Amino acid sequence: MTRTYRASAGIMLAPAVTLIGVFILLPMLLTVWLSFQDWSTQTPFANASFVGLDNFREIFGPTSVGRDFKGALVNTALYTALSVILILPLSVAFGLMVYQRDVAGGTALRTVLFSTYMVPMIAVALVWSKLYSPSEGPLNQMLGLVGIGPQPWLSSPRSALVSIVFLNVWQQVGYFTVLAIAGLTQIPGSLYEAAKLDGASRREQFRFITLPLLRRTLLFSAVIGIINAVQVFEPVALITQGGPVGSTNVLTYHIRRVGIERAQGGLGSAMAVMLMLALVVVVCALFALANRKDDE
Amino acid sequence: MSLTWISKLALAAALAVMPATGWAQSVTISYLTHWSPETVTLLEAAAKDFSKTNPDVAVTVRAVPFSDLLTTLRSQGGSSDGPTIGGIYDLWLPELARDKLVAPAPEAIAGEVKGAWPAGVVSAASVGGTLYGIPNEIDVYALNYNKALFKQAGIAAAPKTWDEFKDAAKKLTNKDAGQQGFGMINSWAAGVVHPFASLLVSNGGELVKDGKPVLDSPQAGETFQLYEDLIKSGASDPAMATADANTTGPFLDNFVSGKTGMIIMANWWESALKTGMGDKFADIATAPIPVGPSGDKPHSISYSWMTVVNANAGAAEQKAAWDFLAWLNSPKSGKNGASAMSDILMSMGILPSRSSDIEAHKDKLGSEFLSGYVSVLADARPFPVVPGGQEFSESLQQTLEALQYGQVSAKDAQKNAQADAVSILERAAK
Repeated sequence: MTRTYRASAGIMLAPAVTLIGVFILLPMLLTVWLSFQDWSTQTPFANASFVGLDNFREIFGPTSVGRDFKGALVNTALYTALSVILILPLSVAFGLMVYQRDVAGGTALRTVLFSTYMVPMIAVALVWSKLYSPSEGPLNQMLGLVGIGPQPWLSSPRSALVSIVFLNVWQQVGYFTVLAIAGLTQIPGSLYEAAKLDGASRREQFRFITLPLLRRTLLFSAVIGIINAVQVFEPVALITQGGPVGSTNVLTYHIRRVGIERAQGGLGSAMAVMLMLALVVVVCALFALANRKDDE
Repeated sequence: MSLTWISKLALAAALAVMPATGWAQSVTISYLTHWSPETVTLLEAAAKDFSKTNPDVAVTVRAVPFSDLLTTLRSQGGSSDGPTIGGIYDLWLPELARDKLVAPAPEAIAGEVKGAWPAGVVSAASVGGTLYGIPNEIDVYALNYNKALFKQAGIAAAPKTWDEFKDAAKKLTNKDAGQQGFGMINSWAAGVVHPFASLLVSNGGELVKDGKPVLDSPQAGETFQLYEDLIKSGASDPAMATADANTTGPFLDNFVSGKTGMIIMANWWESALKTGMGDKFADIATAPIPVGPSGDKPHSISYSWMTVVNANAGAAEQKAAWDFLAWLNSPKSGKNGASAMSDILMSMGILPSRSSDIEAHKDKLGSEFLSGYVSVLADARPFPVVPGGQEFSESLQQTLEALQYGQVSAKDAQKNAQADAVSILERAAK
């Protein structure tokens, strides 16, 4: 009986496991294998030669390869942290605004918020590159009206990455607002009624009911936000090309430059492996933190 | 006549015509370029002309932004379905040839190219003595300056030496009006490196000598120092220097709107200037690169472009591609003894490299803007075409941008640039 059950379970799982194995696990294993090889992406895998940890030594070394990789890693971490730090509170704030039934125009606001997520990145990049234009850009013109001088936005290594973060926040916040609203709908209304009877203010209701019960939603949003942010590519490729002075050179763009443009497949794979490891560590740490809070 | 008979006759007529039309176009080749839509239209018109005499060949044209050109060639060129023809920058050739992505030119075409193009241009299209592409354009750098701004600042003539250059840049700078004297470029490797290299060779220096980087020379040190001086004096503002993926952006906007007095740029941006400036294009003049304290006379950097054929394309496609390129670059395909390719290039203000094309376009090359470029061509130094050249160029770009933004001193920039270049070129040469 158990054997029959196992056989049928195996048969039913086989298609999904095969697809995952071929299209997800195999490329990942191949990338890990290539990270230990010296290999040009234009040549067959048979031409790869084993170099041990040389690629990893190189990307963490003092030469331009190492400097560029470490710079891209830091840029990616900053971009991710800033994006998540801005998107999560904003999505909760917008979610609360839209979810309140006594706020007029809630549905319209929800539609407007989500619409930014549906605009293709190419259009967003074109528009924002013009908005940020230092001489003719509307943003600087508007700042000028309130007496603030022109800002360099994308033209300065100090502000270019933050400018790209703003663009990302603008585009993604609607999607995360929808997630926050979904989380808010799961909170029983009776809790708020009980809190009101006990004399809790709105701030206290938010702090002791909404926020704790939104924790699972926020954890999911944070994980998705991190994964989305780490994969940033289009605005960098379309607007800044990683500049100025490499200040917007994020890892996905850098790996594309090294692995495809320069055909340095081994180095590019080592960078991709490090990106994957960093992502795994961050997401695991986030889950561990959330689980600890649950235990408390 | 019954309907059945009419149908039969129509079918017979269609079958009789088909070999000359639909069936005849048995080979389709694709041409990958980074040109603008207007220029692509000209190339498509030339391809149609070619198909008139070669009905068995259909040519399609595909354009991508400059920043995606190499990536597209690398990611799709390894397949027989990738672009059959690609327009490439000479710096990319050694590695594309090493990775067997581009096919050597057939003997007959190689022979013709060697006879019809200057030797230096042929050598830039060759690796190890084997010709891989048909050269088409040559680009050279010169000083572009705004005559109206010069007049306002009381400057009588274009600067000839670095001292005059620094002085003019200072006089042209007006921070209150958001005006800079000399415009540098950032966020675009060639845009950053080529003007620096032009100043370096005009100061008697070189980027690479005998395959080894020589950025540690005193001449290079003086060139890094010139950049630092221009930045520190405020005569050049890096915030006005950004380029975008299409090699336009604020650096171009600032020059066309009269907020930048001088810039070192190549001839091909004539069309961008004309589009951006309209009638005010008449204010722009060209002059040789100012000579540094260690230089003998003005030099500048030149580089060339060529069309190559996908080595992984089928034999019929490769043959059709070489036939098309031979025709496109021959004096028979254009007007008045010029090639169709040179007519396309001249529409953008780009200098053709075939000797007969230069002769055929003599009048237009004598225009006020282009003649300044033609005059410096003889003393131009080709940008070093070495394995790892693109990575070297991108690394030097990073160092120069760090210098522009005051993140490193001129001395540290020189030290870093040399150390990085040594490591990159040594690794690429393995």
